[in-house]
Amino acid sequence: MSQPWLPLFILATSLLVAPLIFVLPERAWRARAVVNLSAAVLKLVLVALLVWGFYQGRDYSFGFTVVDGAAFFLQVDALGLMFAGLSALLWLATTVYAIGYLEDSPNRKRFFGFFSLCIASTVGIALAGNLFTFLLFYELLTLATYPLVVHRGHDKALQAGTIYLRYTLSGGLVLLLGVVALHALVGDIAFGQRERLADLGPEAHPMLTVLFLVLLLGLGVKAALVPLHGWLPRAMVAPAPVSALLHAVAVVKAGAFGIVRLVYDVYGISLVHELGLLMLLSVIATVTILYGSVKALSQQELKPRLAYSTVSQVSYIVLGISLFGPFGTIAGLVHLMHQGLMKVTLFYCAGNYAEELGIHRIDELDGAGRRMPMTSLAFTVGALGMIGLPPVAGFITKWYLGMGAVQAGMSWVIVVLMASSLLNAAYFLPILHRLWFRHGPAHGHGNWPEERNLGRFETSAWLLLPTAATTLFSILVGLLAGMTFSPLDLATFVATEEYLP
Amino acid sequence: MSLLLPIAVLWPLLVLLRSGLVQAMEQGGMRRHEPRRELLDGWWASAPLPALILALWPGELSFALESWLLGGLWQYDAARRPWLMFGALLWFLAGCYARGYLAEEQRCAEAGDESAFRRLLGFSLFWPLTLAGNLLLILAEDIPSFYLGFITMTLAAYGLVVHTGNHDARRGGLAYIVMALCGEALILGGLLWSAGSAEALTLSELRAAIAEAEQGLWMATLLWLGFGVKAGVIVFHVWLPLAHPVAPTPASAVLSGVMVKAGVLGWLYTLPLGDAEAGLARLGEAIIAAGLAGAFVAALLGVVQRHPKAVLAYSSVSQLGMLASLVGVGLVTPGLWPALLAPVTLFAGHHGMTKGALFLGVGISEHPPRLPAWLIVTLLALPALSLGGALTSGLIAKGFIKEVLKEGGHSTLVSWLSVAAVGSTLLVARALWRQWHRRGEPALHWRSPMLLAWLFAVLAAAGVPLWLPIGEPGVPWPPLKELPGLLWPAGLGVILAGLVLLTAKAGKGEWEKFSRLPAGDLWWVYLVLARWAAAGLTTVGGALQLGSHRVRASLVVKERRARAWLDDLTHYERVFTHLAVPLMIGVALLLLLGFWLG
Repeated sequence: MSQPWLPLFILATSLLVAPLIFVLPERAWRARAVVNLSAAVLKLVLVALLVWGFYQGRDYSFGFTVVDGAAFFLQVDALGLMFAGLSALLWLATTVYAIGYLEDSPNRKRFFGFFSLCIASTVGIALAGNLFTFLLFYELLTLATYPLVVHRGHDKALQAGTIYLRYTLSGGLVLLLGVVALHALVGDIAFGQRERLADLGPEAHPMLTVLFLVLLLGLGVKAALVPLHGWLPRAMVAPAPVSALLHAVAVVKAGAFGIVRLVYDVYGISLVHELGLLMLLSVIATVTILYGSVKALSQQELKPRLAYSTVSQVSYIVLGISLFGPFGTIAGLVHLMHQGLMKVTLFYCAGNYAEELGIHRIDELDGAGRRMPMTSLAFTVGALGMIGLPPVAGFITKWYLGMGAVQAGMSWVIVVLMASSLLNAAYFLPILHRLWFRHGPAHGHGNWPEERNLGRFETSAWLLLPTAATTLFSILVGLLAGMTFSPLDLATFVATEEYLP
Repeated sequence: MSLLLPIAVLWPLLVLLRSGLVQAMEQGGMRRHEPRRELLDGWWASAPLPALILALWPGELSFALESWLLGGLWQYDAARRPWLMFGALLWFLAGCYARGYLAEEQRCAEAGDESAFRRLLGFSLFWPLTLAGNLLLILAEDIPSFYLGFITMTLAAYGLVVHTGNHDARRGGLAYIVMALCGEALILGGLLWSAGSAEALTLSELRAAIAEAEQGLWMATLLWLGFGVKAGVIVFHVWLPLAHPVAPTPASAVLSGVMVKAGVLGWLYTLPLGDAEAGLARLGEAIIAAGLAGAFVAALLGVVQRHPKAVLAYSSVSQLGMLASLVGVGLVTPGLWPALLAPVTLFAGHHGMTKGALFLGVGISEHPPRLPAWLIVTLLALPALSLGGALTSGLIAKGFIKEVLKEGGHSTLVSWLSVAAVGSTLLVARALWRQWHRRGEPALHWRSPMLLAWLFAVLAAAGVPLWLPIGEPGVPWPPLKELPGLLWPAGLGVILAGLVLLTAKAGKGEWEKFSRLPAGDLWWVYLVLARWAAAGLTTVGGALQLGSHRVRASLVVKERRARAWLDDLTHYERVFTHLAVPLMIGVALLLLLGFWLG
């Protein structure tokens, strides 16, 4: 049974909300909140429906030809579903958070309008069925996030926005070149038709290698692979919900997701392996992981440290797919979800500290655990997960990366994992120490930079609830990884589909 | 009945939850005016009781939970029983002791001292969490659960170490956590590598995997070193003498009694001991050598320490070195391991309980009870002599080990261990001596929980061979004719200690010169090395940044040039407009020409 309307509906929930929000007057924050939240809930329900239908074996493809040879094509596969589910879930959480975060600040209409567009493009990326559609939404994402990055409108934000655009647009251009060249070579490829490129035979291999590198270069900008990561730490001037989304699902993840699509669904892992490009990927990932961690160590402010941590963590995904074998695939895919959950939690916490206490620097966090225990607990969970300690989600990733490394015969990756764990501990544990063991304003030493007392609890409930929810999810997906429908289960499903045709 | 397994692990967590919730509600301001409730109440002390009940359960239990992590499997069998029993018992006794030890802080907290209250709250939360981790690692059979338990115990114990929050405590905590994390990284590497080589999920599969794997030697080395951080392998032992003196005494007791044993347990769980095909004899020799080196070096370093708990910490390093050398025998002579497991377990249990009793005794000598001095000294000396191998459980454990090793043809090791026992005796003598120096005024009532817990610990430590279930055929008592061979190290140690004491009395001050050696010996070297490395890294980082700045600047310059060039193109526009008419005419003419010709 075919139900092509469902993916379209899912796209429409956020795409059509955007004009609606732009139409609503700036003052109507209640109406806007209702529209936003109902759209987010509706989308979550629809995605759940999609997951259910997909497990029933339903077909959801939808497509029409734009110009001859280039078709707009949406399809639903397990990989896309994972990403769509993640973005739907985190969109809901982040919408709640953003409503609380932006209370009383100007330009909320613009913010939420582009916010919806941003999510629409993320879902579009998830459900895109071929490179053309993917590219369409990928570029839309760039344009939709720019107003969010420069939302504050001060000089630093505008400058960061310019750098952001410069990086992402040039990345997009390179990607476009690659896509066009690939199109010229074999025509329109729907994701999953791996045999099309594999059938070209060995004489096409040099050309395919070059094209792969071009596409990787284009996608690597958004995925913040070293040395293309320069925009990410600067984009930290964005408001906390934007940073959270940017790091967890939207931009960085879109890049990583693109690389996953490129390796598994355009080239096919066997072809990439044959071309000898997996080694290159693992070296790039290793360099990025270690460099990001070392840079994170030297940051004195909270959000830039988290940003460099993202640079490092997103490369776990790339590292996972570069390990030839089902375990590596599982690790990469499952981290797509896990990193999103954990990083979004950390950014919510950073936002909470900034909103409630005016804290931006790490050394201002002394004793904050006493003033904001829930937020600090959430931050602790997120940080431990990033280090890769059980029972938080990060451990599952690390476990499968290790298994994958041995399976692929690249035991040296384990040394990278050890080093990365230590580095992660070196930049996260001092923060935890400050939160819980140092004495600060909460113990009567000095004052918080800018205390605001936003709510009845330690801070506004709008900020606290999403934080608690994502924290809980981060623990549960690790602790109960063996359950059906857990990210690990989904990733295993995708990997077995990939390796056992 | 298999539900007893999760209950034993979850009960401490429930206790933790209860403490946290009660405090959160009181903080909420609902009952601000009422006096604060006791933090370390009866419920809190009950945390290890379900585990203790489980340890008394005669049969074997197993509990599987498929959706837990990567598939949870917890087991309770004959091999785990003694570890669980002495672990839970010591945790329970130390918990009861803590209620008395921290009573002063409790009073301050109730009187409204905010910082005492915070410290106590931290203690009441970290204690059950550490306990839960410890129990989980003993009972876990699947690797992720085991690692979860190990890491929970390790990280939560940090909160116990830094309890007092002063400068020394922070330094001890830093040494503890840095070394522990290095160990974690090594363990993670070893576990991932070996588990990956055979897709193992349980610990028994892991042992088989290491035995079969081509690079099993390296995997086993990683695991040995990783767990060795906890088990005080020499070079990694630096955290013990720094962390023990600063931790509250009940925490030191469980730290040295049970938690360092988690390292030994890690070896037993992961190394293919007794597997003839493992081919890890070389590693076994290294383990024996490192163990003996640790036993001797720690004795030398320990006797010049001043803080009794630092001396006892070095004694732990020394004793764990002996234990490690026995584990090494399991790799060198796999055939001997089945016979050796029982004495190793007995030795671990004996050391755990005895060291626990000794640490608890440090607190007793600081706050002595109103009892005759000779009684207290005797009770303090009893576990000390036992640790030296002269009395009770120590004597029996040593005899048992000696017997098994001699049968297996390891007479040289036996002699070395005997010599090391001289060092052990010296160390405990030094510890007692320092305790005597720092003794306090008798004030404690004889019915206080602190004293009772200590008394019970001393008695339980003396009787370890009687109650520790190490399996059939039980513990053999050393025959009378063996006694001189077993007693000489302790005797020599006592005589040496006496001589040293006399010379120290004669030449006052001379002895103290040696005591300038700071606790934690190599830690200070590591600190200097780390500073160098950090300085080097900063230099490299600065150079890299400078380089990338240059590249970026040159790119920006190029871009500006390109843009200027593009802007220049507009100048040509004027030229174009001038040329437009002639150009069009020219093209038209060419076209016409083409038509005419074509």
